[in-house]
Amino acid sequence: MELFAEKAIFWPRKKTLLVADPHFGKASAFRHAGIPVPEDVTAEDLKRLDALLAATRARRMIFLGDFFHAKTGKSIATVESLNQWIANHRDLEFHLIRGNHDIHSGAVPEDWRFHITDNTLCDPPFVFSHAPFFSGEGYVVAGHIHPAVRCGMRLPCFHFGAHCAVLPAFGGFTGTHVIKPEPTDRVFVLNEGEIAELPMLTFRS
Amino acid sequence: MRPKTIHANIRSKQASSSHRAAKDPLQQWFKARGWKPFPYQLETWKAFGENKSGLIHAPTGVGKTYSVWIPALQRWLAQPETLDSKAAPPIQVIWITPLRALANDTVNAMLRPVRDLELPWTVELRTGDTASAMRARQRKLFPSALVTTPESLSLLLSYPETRAKLQSLRTVVVDEWHELLGSKRGVQTELCLAHLRAWLPQLQTWGLSATLGNLDQALNVLVGTHHENAVLISADVKKETVVETLLPKNVAHFPWAGHVGLKLLPEVIQKLEEARTTLLFTNTRSQTEIWFRALQEARPDWSHDIALHHGSVNRELREEVEIRLRAGNIRCVVCTSSLDLGVDFPPVAQVIQVGAPKGVARMLQRAGRSGHRRGAVSRIVCVPAHALELVEFAAVRDAIGRHQLENREPLDRPLDVLAQHLVTLGVAGGFDANEARKEVQNAYSYRHITDEEWQWCMDFVTRGGQALQAYPHFKRVIKRDGLFVVEAPDLARIHRMSIGTITSDSSVLIRVLKGRTLGSTEESFIARIRPGQRFNFAGHKLELVRVRDMVAYVRRAKKTGGAIPQWMGGKMPLSSQLADAVRGKLLEAANNIFRGREMKAARPVLEIQGRWSRIPTPRQLLIERTAMRDGTHHFIFPFAGRLVHEGLAALVAHRIAQTSPSTLSVTVNDYGFGLLGIAPILFLRDEWKKILSPDNLVKDLIECINSTELAKRQFREIARVAGLVFQGYPGQPKTVRQLQASSGLFYDVFARYDPQNLLLHQARREVLERQLEVKRMQKVLEQIAGLELELVETERLTPLSFPLWAAFVQASVSTEKWIDRIVRMAEQLEAAAQKEVCA
Repeated sequence: MELFAEKAIFWPRKKTLLVADPHFGKASAFRHAGIPVPEDVTAEDLKRLDALLAATRARRMIFLGDFFHAKTGKSIATVESLNQWIANHRDLEFHLIRGNHDIHSGAVPEDWRFHITDNTLCDPPFVFSHAPFFSGEGYVVAGHIHPAVRCGMRLPCFHFGAHCAVLPAFGGFTGTHVIKPEPTDRVFVLNEGEIAELPMLTFRS
Repeated sequence: MRPKTIHANIRSKQASSSHRAAKDPLQQWFKARGWKPFPYQLETWKAFGENKSGLIHAPTGVGKTYSVWIPALQRWLAQPETLDSKAAPPIQVIWITPLRALANDTVNAMLRPVRDLELPWTVELRTGDTASAMRARQRKLFPSALVTTPESLSLLLSYPETRAKLQSLRTVVVDEWHELLGSKRGVQTELCLAHLRAWLPQLQTWGLSATLGNLDQALNVLVGTHHENAVLISADVKKETVVETLLPKNVAHFPWAGHVGLKLLPEVIQKLEEARTTLLFTNTRSQTEIWFRALQEARPDWSHDIALHHGSVNRELREEVEIRLRAGNIRCVVCTSSLDLGVDFPPVAQVIQVGAPKGVARMLQRAGRSGHRRGAVSRIVCVPAHALELVEFAAVRDAIGRHQLENREPLDRPLDVLAQHLVTLGVAGGFDANEARKEVQNAYSYRHITDEEWQWCMDFVTRGGQALQAYPHFKRVIKRDGLFVVEAPDLARIHRMSIGTITSDSSVLIRVLKGRTLGSTEESFIARIRPGQRFNFAGHKLELVRVRDMVAYVRRAKKTGGAIPQWMGGKMPLSSQLADAVRGKLLEAANNIFRGREMKAARPVLEIQGRWSRIPTPRQLLIERTAMRDGTHHFIFPFAGRLVHEGLAALVAHRIAQTSPSTLSVTVNDYGFGLLGIAPILFLRDEWKKILSPDNLVKDLIECINSTELAKRQFREIARVAGLVFQGYPGQPKTVRQLQASSGLFYDVFARYDPQNLLLHQARREVLERQLEVKRMQKVLEQIAGLELELVETERLTPLSFPLWAAFVQASVSTEKWIDRIVRMAEQLEAAAQKEVCA
């Protein structure tokens, strides 16, 4: 597995790119409610995905949930840029494990040809899921948490526990949740395009 | 409750001059209580009758409320049509008070003459605590006089029907104006007043204030820019204030540092025994908790006789305490600035101040809580925590004697508050852009608003931001038939809910599991406590269980100990007035003059300062350089208050690093700042002059401070006020929860995609002006440029540098160890000092 500072994991053997919690349309959901958020967030997120796909030559993409943020966020502009992006990547196989936000956001357009599941996607030795949990069937890779750690400042991170890994939220307009890793866990923090493993000593108190 | 006014034995020069005193039922009522009006009250009654506006400044407890309330009633009685009226008159007076806690007492005081004279007036309260049914009824039928807060007034103005209902309004009174002035709530008040004046050009405005250094300006801010012949009325009621300092028996061993002064606990307890009711003020909420706990442990027999009162304590608990205070059946209330304001508690016989006073006006205000009876003396007992605080207490007495009070600077056009106000106008039925601009410029804070700023604010509420393209589908305020309106009901609802959010940091409720709410605290405080960890709050020993939806669930902790909450607000900086007075005292000491008990007590320590280094005079800037095992440290003492020093320290560190790259730590306090652990460079006088030069201040500052981090923090408040961050409410629907994002996230997104956003500029400006006090920094650096530099090499830490070094150790070493290390160092230094004395 390769970790990217762009908040994604690549699984070379299966040529699979994993991304969690993009929350597309969050900015437009806010604008819809009269809270100003610039639109360029979506374009920038898609650009980042393009770069990742180009770098990894992935054949398959798995979104680990919360693809859309909210129903009100599926503005014409947002859906149109996503249409365009999907059209540019027709050769890719898309999977979406629906997350809590997706359930309230209505259906994904059919012509996107997403493989959609509400539960988990088993691809040994991994179990892909939106929310982390313990699975007897394999090591769980999930999203949902938007993990971050405090080390001077609050930084988003990849968190690898004993039974489960959690990806940082991909979306450029998403918050973070500070986690408290166990001493045996591994944590990789992201800062300004760099990625670094955090020595677990940091959390010994 | 005893009325907050004056007693019979007052001789008043013009008590029965040209007034129709005999016929006036209100004057008779006044007399019947054995009161005679003060000259300032008569002056106010006259100006009020002439329909003037004005500002009254007077110490607490001399009847400010009645000085404007009586003439409001008088005027109504004088109208011929009211003679036989049995119906409550339509709204006449809106009374704005900054604190909900004050509102109840104000209503009671206002009702007293109304009831006694059987006037048909109704006087009602409207705050965030008022039940919604009551508020709805009030919107249909306004009382004759409405007592409210700035937020509630702003909220009221957001209802379209309010304008028609307020047609009969004649007077707005702003109580405790000095508290609002200089804050965003004050600006909110200004905008509300400007709006009311646009509706009612004849509206008169009266402010009630404590004494300030800049009263003329305070008046101008209150009455707005188009107002002429407003009057400033001074209640020339001389109140004597006695400042007394507690000293430990063994003065020679007065500690060099320390921050809570608990060494004087026995003396404080003795003082508490002597007086019936005492208010014990501390500077921070955490000190309140520490002192409360210490008193309870020292005197378990008083456990029901001591109470705690600070801003985070739950309202009901606070009210309980206030009721007991009023009744006089409580021995001591340990409190912070939460009891600085407003209504008096006549039974309070004594006020104790723990820790440095930090400001002259504040000290006077606190002292004024005692000795309310006319002619009685206000007495404040000071509890110094260390030797240098003794100097500060002596200085404060001098400053009081010379009547050198601090200014309250009004804010300069905060755009977040304006954006909020524009949406409020939109919700209230819409506004015409030109009229709104004229109206807004009537508010002092926005008198100089530029076309660009105005246009940006309009863009912000109508399009989301300047760059049209960047904010598609945004709609908040829209243009309809020439008016800017908010149409969507859910937008209006969300906006109304966020109006009250100017006040404070995001607050977290503290609630006992399945039990009652104990109060609230800042989110940042709770964020530092882990579940299972213990802390003290509102006098309870608690253990954090979990935090959910802005509620921290706790259970009572069995064992004692644990972290003491460190709230914000402990960083009240030394005012420049008091700093000047402190330097005056040090000049005396440098000339070997030690007057007064405090200076005599501080003498041994100051003499050591003089022998090991220098006692800085106002003509000098002292710079100490001390080589120690943990590095070479420089200590610079401009005596300009900690905010200024924070900026200066960052600036100086940055300028040093440019010439000689090195990592160094900085620490600051009110007297100076330290640069610790630099490579042992010896800076010469000229180099220091360059390092401390006032040139390029702002440019260098922006380069050197972590302005992003600071601005991000400042942006929290801005984001809330401008309506970006919505705090939500209990039981909110999912759709609302999907709209929550942290202000930090907004900051990042703006900084990245819309860097010209003026709210970001505002955040940076607020950091420079409010957090770093850049204007004062400039002034200080210009002063320094004219000073003589005293560069002193010291063998050991000195009384002035020791606290700065201790702060450095505290920041760099783990918690358990730093106390040990500081105590050890203090012992060594004191021993060295002792040896000198003996030798």
